[in-house]
Amino acid sequence: MTAPAAAPPIREEMLPLPYRVVGSRRETHDTVTVEFAPQHGALDHPAPGQFTMLYVFGIGEVPISIAGYTAGTAVITHSVRAVGAVTDAICALDRGAQVGLRGPYGVGWPVAVEGGRDLVVIAGGIGLAPLRPVIHHVVENRQTYGAVSLIYGARTPDDVLYTDELRDWRGRFDLDVEVTVDRASNGWHGDVGLVTNLLGRIAFRPDQTVAMTCGPEIMMKVVARDLIGRGVDPDGIALSLERNMKCAIGFCGHCQYGPDFVCRDGPVVSYAAVRDRLRVDEL
Amino acid sequence: MKLIETIADSRLLAHLAAEEIDLLATTAHEARYSAGEVIFNEDEEANTFYIVREGKIGLELTSPRRRPIVIQTLGHGDLVGLSWMFPPYRWSWRARAIEDTSAVAFDAVAVRRQCETDSHLALVVLRIVADQAVARLHSSRTQMLDLYEFPR
Repeated sequence: MTAPAAAPPIREEMLPLPYRVVGSRRETHDTVTVEFAPQHGALDHPAPGQFTMLYVFGIGEVPISIAGYTAGTAVITHSVRAVGAVTDAICALDRGAQVGLRGPYGVGWPVAVEGGRDLVVIAGGIGLAPLRPVIHHVVENRQTYGAVSLIYGARTPDDVLYTDELRDWRGRFDLDVEVTVDRASNGWHGDVGLVTNLLGRIAFRPDQTVAMTCGPEIMMKVVARDLIGRGVDPDGIALSLERNMKCAIGFCGHCQYGPDFVCRDGPVVSYAAVRDRLRVDEL
Repeated sequence: MKLIETIADSRLLAHLAAEEIDLLATTAHEARYSAGEVIFNEDEEANTFYIVREGKIGLELTSPRRRPIVIQTLGHGDLVGLSWMFPPYRWSWRARAIEDTSAVAFDAVAVRRQCETDSHLALVVLRIVADQAVARLHSSRTQMLDLYEFPR
């Protein structure tokens, strides 16, 4: 009888670090923004668009886009929509609760634009969360961009995230912020309609534009089609994909998307690289 | 900005020749609406169409026993009114200014009359209206998918 083989060592990048909830704010009826502070060691400074694997002990682990990062305290902000057991648990976390975080993982947004190019950011629903760090980056590095516009679409006015920040961004003279909803309620004086309806209202030079979009994939397809119709280069359009990520380091294959693993080769990809795959049913 | 310059700068009218712009300008006047003011009502005769200069206009569906439902908003550079181009020339929706709004208002009856005798103008104007109709159809179909609701 041979002795049982020793368990393989756990890869360091698979080990979560302990973080504690230091702040929580309800955004909508099903979405909460939670701030996590490191307890013993902190994750590396994330790039806008990267994600972490967030482990609620005893319940499970899910990939969550990073919605904010505070450099001094290494606090990581996540906005989480309650759609299952783990995300329900995250939304219910009290201040002081401990979770495990690992990451940051993945390819982020191409925020390092050259030559003062225009930036068009288009988000739908919870898709504004991964793009929030882009706006923070833009605000801190405003001089490196040309015209900057954010178009945000939500289901109803009650589903709009980050209302205070949207108001602040809208109040700036160097950002054009447009918000639209699918269905307006009484008292809503904003726009009604698809995000692409607002493309005609913002100023950008199509041949000098970088676009970033995040939301339901159908929305991103429509957005990309309209941007290309207005002259934006498909290579200049970045989108963030969402797939069932488990290991987050390109090992397990759960998030395979054609020849790519979304956790390793994404979540942010060039529209030109995935355009054909977005036309494949159920991929 | 003068009315003629607004018309000439409109992305919607970019394919019109200079003389056609001049022709349209003879049918146009500036219109201003205060927030809340109704611009046209459902089933009224569609004898004017608009290009928004500033502000915001909501297209409303009126329904008995409930408040009007805004189905789409239109802003700077957008065309307000498609029904003026097609019989029976009556509005399908109510249009109301959501904000204080200024627009270029065109005499649709005069434009239709011009189109009867100028086939190029008719083709270009028809394309403009058809483009808008197709874009709004696409938007409406996508909106119907309730995109932002889980599961995606």
